[in-house]
Amino acid sequence: MAQDVLNALTLGSLYLLFALGMSLAWGTIGILNFAHGSIFMFAAFTAHLLVQEVALPMVALIAVGVAAGALLSVLVQLLVFEPIQRRAKDKHKAELQILIGGIGVAIVPLAIAQYLTRSVPFGYSAGRFQVNSYDLGFVRVSNVQVITLAAAFGLAALIGWWLKAARPGLALRGIGVDAEVASMMGVDRRRLALLTMAVAGALAGLAGVLLTYYLGSIAPETGDAFLLKAFAAIILGGVGSIAGVTIGALFLAGVETLVLVTTSGAWAPAIAFGVLFLMLLVRPNGLLGRQEVRRT
Amino acid sequence: MTTVEPRGGATEAGGRAAVLRTEDVAVHFGGIKAVDGIDLALEQGRILGILGPNGSGKSTLLAAITRLVPLTRGRLLLDGEDYGRTPPSRLAHRGIARTFQTVRLLPELTVLGNIQLGADLRRSRSERLRELVRRDVPAAVREAVERTGLGDLLDLFPGELSYGTARRVEIARALASRPRVLMLDEPTAGMNQPERLEVAGLLRRLRDEGLTQLLVEHDVQMMVDTCDRLLAMNQGLPIAEGAPADVVRDPAVQEAYLGKRWNRAGDR
Amino acid sequence: MSQWFVSHLILIQGTFISLLLALSIQVPLRAGVFSFAGIGSYALGAYTAAILTIRLQVAPVIAIGAGVLLAAVVGYLLALLVARLSGLYLGMATIAFALFLGVAATNGGELTGGPTGLFGAISTLTTAHVIAVTLVVVLLLAAGERGAYGRRVDAVREDPQLAVTLGIDVNRVRRRVFVVSGALGATAGGMYTLLRTTVSPETIGFHLVVTALTMIIVGGSLSWAGAAIGALIFTWLPTVLQFVGEWQLLVYGLLVTAAAVYVPGGILGLLQSGWRRYQRSRRPAVRPGAAAAAAGEHEAPLATLGTPGEVRS
Repeated sequence: MAQDVLNALTLGSLYLLFALGMSLAWGTIGILNFAHGSIFMFAAFTAHLLVQEVALPMVALIAVGVAAGALLSVLVQLLVFEPIQRRAKDKHKAELQILIGGIGVAIVPLAIAQYLTRSVPFGYSAGRFQVNSYDLGFVRVSNVQVITLAAAFGLAALIGWWLKAARPGLALRGIGVDAEVASMMGVDRRRLALLTMAVAGALAGLAGVLLTYYLGSIAPETGDAFLLKAFAAIILGGVGSIAGVTIGALFLAGVETLVLVTTSGAWAPAIAFGVLFLMLLVRPNGLLGRQEVRRT
Repeated sequence: MTTVEPRGGATEAGGRAAVLRTEDVAVHFGGIKAVDGIDLALEQGRILGILGPNGSGKSTLLAAITRLVPLTRGRLLLDGEDYGRTPPSRLAHRGIARTFQTVRLLPELTVLGNIQLGADLRRSRSERLRELVRRDVPAAVREAVERTGLGDLLDLFPGELSYGTARRVEIARALASRPRVLMLDEPTAGMNQPERLEVAGLLRRLRDEGLTQLLVEHDVQMMVDTCDRLLAMNQGLPIAEGAPADVVRDPAVQEAYLGKRWNRAGDR
Repeated sequence: MSQWFVSHLILIQGTFISLLLALSIQVPLRAGVFSFAGIGSYALGAYTAAILTIRLQVAPVIAIGAGVLLAAVVGYLLALLVARLSGLYLGMATIAFALFLGVAATNGGELTGGPTGLFGAISTLTTAHVIAVTLVVVLLLAAGERGAYGRRVDAVREDPQLAVTLGIDVNRVRRRVFVVSGALGATAGGMYTLLRTTVSPETIGFHLVVTALTMIIVGGSLSWAGAAIGALIFTWLPTVLQFVGEWQLLVYGLLVTAAAVYVPGGILGLLQSGWRRYQRSRRPAVRPGAAAAAAGEHEAPLATLGTPGEVRS
């Protein structure tokens, strides 16, 4: 029982790390990045490529994953989303084009990774880090789990605080609420958008490396599955709300673990879709989301 | 086509049957009282003008009358019948046509296509099916094109039109539905003086042919010249109503809105 | 010719099935409805056709027809459920719906064959049938893009509020679009399953969303013709681009991205604007100026209207 709770918490933390960046970008600069899953996977893959050459410690791999994630995310912003926003006639059209552009650009890293790995899962077994488990009597906890939990909750708290208290965070929230007013107040939207995407990508990269350590290996297609789960977590909690996405990620992981433990688990993949669909029907703004008119 | 010189300002206000009437209409957005208790009557074959500064609730009132925003309170009557629960799309079928404050033409359609859109609701299924094989232009569209003088521009796309011309296309689209009541939200905004006069002349001719109209405008001179009655609004409330000449001289109206504007318009 | 036909049979079938699937997304998109429910309908049509064919040995027209009917009804109900949603939120809800059906198929036990799916759905459906059905569908959709029907859908997409004031029941148009999308998706799914005689949960997934979207975005989303261009390109590209080999997926990704950023109207949009420019260059200069048609010119214009053949709309 305690073990299941710990596993659910770890899974929830990984969902959270992944969804945090997406929620941040969506809730502030209005970019729903469909390439987030691809960035997440490719950051982990970059670390894998490196570790095949040099036996690096975990810290180095995390650094590489974070940097690769941030870099990819910024590139996508510069090459795809920014031009779309510049050229689109209205916000609604830009939204859809960004979604489609994200789906398109997400194929590129996926295709490269699939080609290089021949779609075989990859991991960090060549690295210097050893996954160790500690038996605490009632529960077995691994060092990767400890790091994941600490990173997820620590970063969620940090970003939550940053949005509330720090100047760029406030400016970002301003853009999320009213872009025009924000730009009148002298907020440099372009720079903030790039910063946001870098942070989002870094979080994705971190999540990717930690997931690979946690599971031992991941496949290039893992990104897609995470993407849809992250949506469910974000919609559940409310777009743009850090507390909301935390609750959403933990809830989703909890229910999934429950289903896995109590049943054969065949329905587990459907939970995210069910949660997403029902939440959109009942309360599209999520549990803690801003009350934004989304109706026609 | 009648070329009767329009009568200057109306003298014989009242007494005619009201086609459309509002009773104590209010629209509140949260705590903001955009419209707060408006009674008006559109008399058959007359032009009622609504005057007021920006943000006085004119456009919201128009949206309420056309059922695009829900009423907070009050009643809407068409031919004496409450239509406060009629879906907005039914109103067009009952003869209410409107234009908007901004140009809202479909970019993928030509000028002709945009005008046809107005007439489409009057076309039967068999007419629509026939149009699939043979391009025919209904009489209502020809008439609307002729009235608005857009005949040369039918093949152009909205992106190729000047602002004033685009606005005329919108009037033509509204006319193509052969409405009983025409509601125009600042139809001459962005037009130059000759264009304004042209539109004002058109509206008067339509009035003389019996078309009931509701006109929201900023150009006071045009309102005085065109409308039979004026309703002045400020902050969602009615401040004066009556013959145009009287309304614009009303102290409350002068204070609320006209002042500078009226003088400037008078200078012309 | 027939030699060619036989050796390319799989690709030819694939082209028409892909077109129908792409149309199940294009039809809503054209009405401004961002719905992927057509992918879910593909699953409904595929499984219904397989189950009926295997268990009851019904004729393909009934097996597919039943799926189409089911998907149309589900589409209608879905439209009522998601009536409040629009834009991205609608897109997400319908993706969730489609992928949920994929998982449901895995868990359908004996009925759906579980994770392995169903085999042996052998029927009399031929490629000629598929082509005939697709042609009829395309003809109907092409008609729906013309005249008043086409204009009214344009209005619903570009400006729903304006559409309402023009007497168009926007919600009814949206419900119809869901029904049509459902029927199209189910037709594609049913026919593909009977041609291949098998269906499995893996055929329904996020990749199907990506495939359909790819075709429409690159081809052009505003007309059936765009979907047709997309279906043609992405079915035949692999054979044409032999040299790309394993990088095929990469080429797709780059194409979609480039289309989304630079040519939102797709290839069809490019062709149309090129055609317009060509027409413009041939036409004698008009006076688009505002004052051109001012007072005194009311008599002339009807000349244009007199020859409807010249009037494009």
